[in-house]
Amino acid sequence: MIRCENVTKSYPMGTGRKQVLRGLDLDINPGEHIGFLGRNGAGKTTLIKLIGEVEMPTSGRIRRNMSVSWPLGFGGGFQGSLTGYDNARFIARIYGHNYSEIREFVEDFTELGPQLKMPVKTYSSGMRARLAFALSLAIEFDCYLIDEVIMVGDANFHQKCHFELFEKRKDRALVLASHSPELIREFCDRALVLHQGCATIYSDVNEALEIYAAL
Amino acid sequence: MNSFAAGWRIQRRVISALMIRELVTRFGRENIGFLWIMVEPLLFAVLVGLVWRVMKGPEEHGISVIAFVATGYIPLTFFRHAVTRSVRIFSVNSSLMYHRQIKVLDFVFVRVLIEMIGSMMAYLFIAVLLITLDEFPIPYDMGALIAGWALYSLFTFALCLILAPLSEVNEVLEKFMPVTTYVMIPFSGTFNMTSWLTPEAQQAMYYSPFVQGMELMRYGVFGPRVNAQWNIEVPITASIVLIFIGLAMCRRVRRELVVE
Repeated sequence: MIRCENVTKSYPMGTGRKQVLRGLDLDINPGEHIGFLGRNGAGKTTLIKLIGEVEMPTSGRIRRNMSVSWPLGFGGGFQGSLTGYDNARFIARIYGHNYSEIREFVEDFTELGPQLKMPVKTYSSGMRARLAFALSLAIEFDCYLIDEVIMVGDANFHQKCHFELFEKRKDRALVLASHSPELIREFCDRALVLHQGCATIYSDVNEALEIYAAL
Repeated sequence: MNSFAAGWRIQRRVISALMIRELVTRFGRENIGFLWIMVEPLLFAVLVGLVWRVMKGPEEHGISVIAFVATGYIPLTFFRHAVTRSVRIFSVNSSLMYHRQIKVLDFVFVRVLIEMIGSMMAYLFIAVLLITLDEFPIPYDMGALIAGWALYSLFTFALCLILAPLSEVNEVLEKFMPVTTYVMIPFSGTFNMTSWLTPEAQQAMYYSPFVQGMELMRYGVFGPRVNAQWNIEVPITASIVLIFIGLAMCRRVRRELVVE
């Protein structure tokens, strides 16, 4: 379980500070799928980064009792100047996994072929998404943090993600930040609407989507 | 105890992964690869040593000029590189914060460690080379040489631990670093033994942690001939104080670190 207690986050802005999150409480239970909804800049990515411990909350605390993936997004988690293989090697090393197994899975999942020998900075966002998903699926986490990125791939990628994430690993917890009502409606048990730094959780996803659409 | 062992395992994994990553990004896998790391200190030591030899003759105070310059210059380039590479090290590496087991402290540690290993390899290489040319003595006391290196490196690490977070919050610092590392050369023990100085200057050198490490290294190489004098309290105390301040500062900067 992941428990966020009274979490606030603010960033320096000019002479003052920009309050992105003001006192947020949230529990994520094992196996639960939560959708994050909010307009651009509402703090979805920030909250995902806090849950993934990429950034620290300004106040409040976040407790994690299960393994949490790094946030899967457009950037982050990669070293752009290294090749896809080198990034895979690095991930294998720090997570203490066998590189050859990870390489096999990555080759199979990404279908990037010889492109894996190129620096990641030469990849398109769809290719990055494939690599990011492949690596985090190869490591296996109890909870996956997905920031929008699932939308970028092509149909074949969607199908693979769908199988690996929503069928094979449907017992895992999932945080999904997305602007796509269909995705949230289909896969989430609950939804969180972020607006002006405040978060409201709805156990009825359709209600959350209505509120979000009216924002 | 179990969690400590697990933590230690993760720590070792992270450090070695970061080292490999750093070496691959900096030097690539082409030609001599990471051996490039010792090229710069080697060139410095050899070329400056030759210049000094031409200017001052083969020996000064009864010891080979080339050997003296080499033993001084290589630790100095280590220190300078370590310090320069600590600047904005957190924001440069921030994409690594995506992986929870990597801590900001690891960045500083890994960079200092890589520079240290590279410099020590250069030191060993040039010593062997000069020994065959009869320009370098067989080290008199290996223990003292290693202890000297350890003290010098410890203090360099402690300093980097402060400079790294400081350079994140203060942009002016970066501008002053090159001149500061240049001006501190007389206080680094690179070009002279303390015993060659006037009594007043000797007093001042007593408080330089670098000089203490350097004197010990020189004693390890040349033995009693150089009349080395050192104390280990100064570098150890200074390092402990700096490390405590540095840890607190790193923690603070990490809380505010914005990751793209």
